[in-house]
Amino acid sequence: MTFQAIYTLTDLRVLLRETAPSHEFDADQKVKAQRLLENLERQVGSLKQEMLK
Amino acid sequence: MRCGNGIEARQVDELCINIDPIQAGGRLTADAMKAVVAYGDGYSVCDNCRKPNRLDYITKPPIAEFHKDVAAWLNMDAVRTVPGARRGFQAVAQTYVNKGDPVLLTSLSHYTEFLAVEESGGIAREIPANDQKLVTPDAAAEKIEAVKRELGRVPVLAFIDHVDYQYGNMHDVTGIAKVAHQYDIPVAYNGAYTVGILPVDGKAMGVDFVIGSGHKSMAAPAPSGILAATAEREKEVFRTTAIVGDVTQRKFGIKEPEMMGCTLMGVTLVGMMASFPHVKERVKHFDRELANHKIVMDALLSVEGTKCLSEYPRKHTMTRIDTMGSFDKPAETHKKRGYYLSSALEERGITGVIPGATKVWKFNTYGMTTKQAEHVARSFVEIARENGLAVKE
Repeated sequence: MTFQAIYTLTDLRVLLRETAPSHEFDADQKVKAQRLLENLERQVGSLKQEMLK
Repeated sequence: MRCGNGIEARQVDELCINIDPIQAGGRLTADAMKAVVAYGDGYSVCDNCRKPNRLDYITKPPIAEFHKDVAAWLNMDAVRTVPGARRGFQAVAQTYVNKGDPVLLTSLSHYTEFLAVEESGGIAREIPANDQKLVTPDAAAEKIEAVKRELGRVPVLAFIDHVDYQYGNMHDVTGIAKVAHQYDIPVAYNGAYTVGILPVDGKAMGVDFVIGSGHKSMAAPAPSGILAATAEREKEVFRTTAIVGDVTQRKFGIKEPEMMGCTLMGVTLVGMMASFPHVKERVKHFDRELANHKIVMDALLSVEGTKCLSEYPRKHTMTRIDTMGSFDKPAETHKKRGYYLSSALEERGITGVIPGATKVWKFNTYGMTTKQAEHVARSFVEIARENGLAVKE
């Protein structure tokens, strides 16, 4: 799960690279960013559950 | 933010458009970044190394398959990974060059080709580039004949850069290889700026070796690269060890002396492997890269006094320009002197131009989106206008 979260952050990192320097996202990029951030929240939630139980 | 004692996290490419001439093709893909995270430990690719205990035989991760795929992709017969193109030059030079042997280079060759020749005890003989900064087959023939007259024999090897590092010009490797082969001179193709950037077909060019740089052009971590050979040359450069210890009588199996055994054993290799499917795809779309380059080039040339020192129209995205008649003029009176240009670019989120450079400099647009190319183009025009330079409409 740590890898999954890191990989989601990596995809967000690449999105930042593709949109540098303004980081203004077009509609597709917004959708992608939203999906990635939601995945990340879910992955961090799972980590909390597993590591702090 | 730091990632270690005194080591700042590097965010250059997240915050800026990076037009550094040598960094563009080596930026990692997302898959390479992910592979680097998982394979950061030293001997990470060696978990499943089994007899005959050599890197290119490992099947998990699929290193053996990667080697075969790269060879097929380049239309060559055998490939090894090496720690940078320079180590490929070194392996080839060590195989063919003995003390006093002449070796053919060009007046635009990279310094590491010279060092490889020097280390082998060879003598460098350069094919001169013409006024257009191009190395031609005719010039190669003339140089070989000149070496023959001078030393009584022809060069034992030729290193030819397809796209040179100084101008980013594309040279007629096919024609030069044909000439070299008429004298039985093996040809090592330097693809540091081409392998992973545009389609490369070793056999179609008629070269004996194809050498590529992972960190320069294959979206891989440094130091990484590939050395590919034809079936004929494979036996020579990838020969296996024959040495025996006199006390222990030890032998070392199928290790290859020119590779010093195994080569890339961790992040460098898996990074290159993870990027490879993307690299194979991206070379098919080099026309898009040239279109983006043209957007920036047109803007630069619209600033009166700017000259393109590279061949034009451009065939590569790395270009050398002369701005002594344009961006250098404000440097004489600007309070930041020559630093005003890189500073103004930084303010617009563009990096990679050597700070202080306003006379002759290089840039590379590879990997940019069209939107980013338009931003860079607009920025150069704005900076020119702000500093009183004339811009053609």
